[in-house]
Amino acid sequence: MAQIPRIRFDPASGIPAVRQIVDNLRVLLVEGQLVPGTTLPSVRRVAIELGVHFNTVAGAYRQLAAEGWLDLKHGRGAVVVPRIVPAVANGAWNADFRNRLRGVVAQLRAEGVPTASIADELRAMAKVVTRS
Amino acid sequence: MRLVLCTVYVFMGALLFALPNMTRREILFAVPVPPDFREGREGRRAIRMFRLVMVAVVVAAAGALLLSPDGLLNTTAAAMPIAILLAGGIAFRWQNRTLAAAAVQFTRPRDAEMTAEPENLPWFAWLGAGPFVILAAAATWLYLHWDRIPARFPVHVDARGQANRWAERTTKGVYGPLFFGAEICAWFLAMALAGWFGSRRSRSRSVMLGGMIAVEYLVGLLNALISVQSLFGIPVWAIALSPMVILVPLIIVMTNKMGEPWEPMDPTPNECWKGDIFYYNPNDAALFVEKRDGLGYTLNFANHGSWMLLLALALVIASAPFAIA
Repeated sequence: MAQIPRIRFDPASGIPAVRQIVDNLRVLLVEGQLVPGTTLPSVRRVAIELGVHFNTVAGAYRQLAAEGWLDLKHGRGAVVVPRIVPAVANGAWNADFRNRLRGVVAQLRAEGVPTASIADELRAMAKVVTRS
Repeated sequence: MRLVLCTVYVFMGALLFALPNMTRREILFAVPVPPDFREGREGRRAIRMFRLVMVAVVVAAAGALLLSPDGLLNTTAAAMPIAILLAGGIAFRWQNRTLAAAAVQFTRPRDAEMTAEPENLPWFAWLGAGPFVILAAAATWLYLHWDRIPARFPVHVDARGQANRWAERTTKGVYGPLFFGAEICAWFLAMALAGWFGSRRSRSRSVMLGGMIAVEYLVGLLNALISVQSLFGIPVWAIALSPMVILVPLIIVMTNKMGEPWEPMDPTPNECWKGDIFYYNPNDAALFVEKRDGLGYTLNFANHGSWMLLLALALVIASAPFAIA
């Protein structure tokens, strides 16, 4: 039986709840764990499970709908829709991506995560990205 | 009757005595503490002090009741449970304040399953209809044996066990307790269902649902017993002690189930617990969260649904004079 995709909210992380929910859902969408046609759980249920306000989840759904991942029709809930990947100018993303990645790596190192473990994780992630 | 009342007081005292064991290991007197804290010197001292107070108060209450002159018996009988609860509340709060410095903040990420599958109630939720069947059966029995019901029968007794209020064989007099019982059962069932759909998924949630349904049975059975008492001449002491038949096993089962380390404590923020008892968190969509001061769940008072449930309870209580003769 396939595992049910999950999102995670860490109140202690300091990252705003909306951003955490959007980031987690985007990962599931990009990795294909949530495919077009899938109906997401109600705003109420997700808000109760994560211990956040209804508006926080509704805001996250709206942001993903604005990015083209979800269709929010009244009475039907949030449904995953096929999304056309926008074209990006060569190299335009590179500096920003490297900067963000460096920030994450630096944070993990500051928290005491061994550099070898971080490198292993990055290699594993590179394989996943190459496959998809 | 004095012995029956003493038994009830001792039962109340025993419940309060066991209160420190009725919470998760990470909670002591509503204060979040490390799991091994209660075995430490400070934890053991707090439990011992609380229990000493409870034993002293229950012994004093039982003694006051047994030695009370007949003329003061009704007043003493009414005052003692209040004194026990008040002393329990004060002793609890005292230990709560003493341990406040040892409080820790639970921090744990929460997960949500991204599935729109409907939430199915557990099979035993259907048992919630049982108390209504019991009340309907009692009503049918009374209807079929209407002629055997005395024209005037007692519905209330004083502390000496002597009847001090009567009802007449009218629709209101005979069916009133059953109707009122059905109202309370409906409220408990609404609470149970609201608790299921308004709290986070966990195994404790099933325990809470089962506990609420058990309490519903207690109310249903008690009201059915009261209503047929005039026909069967059930002794008052049997009715007074009957709730224990359900309460004792219920508390034992719930304490064991809630105490099992299935999943970590729900990390509700400390600052949202008012007086460490009332949960008020406008940023939490849950209607019910795990309690910190005892068994089960409590309402999130920042959720409008909680006030609807309390309003419904107030209406049920307010209807009592109209429902019961």
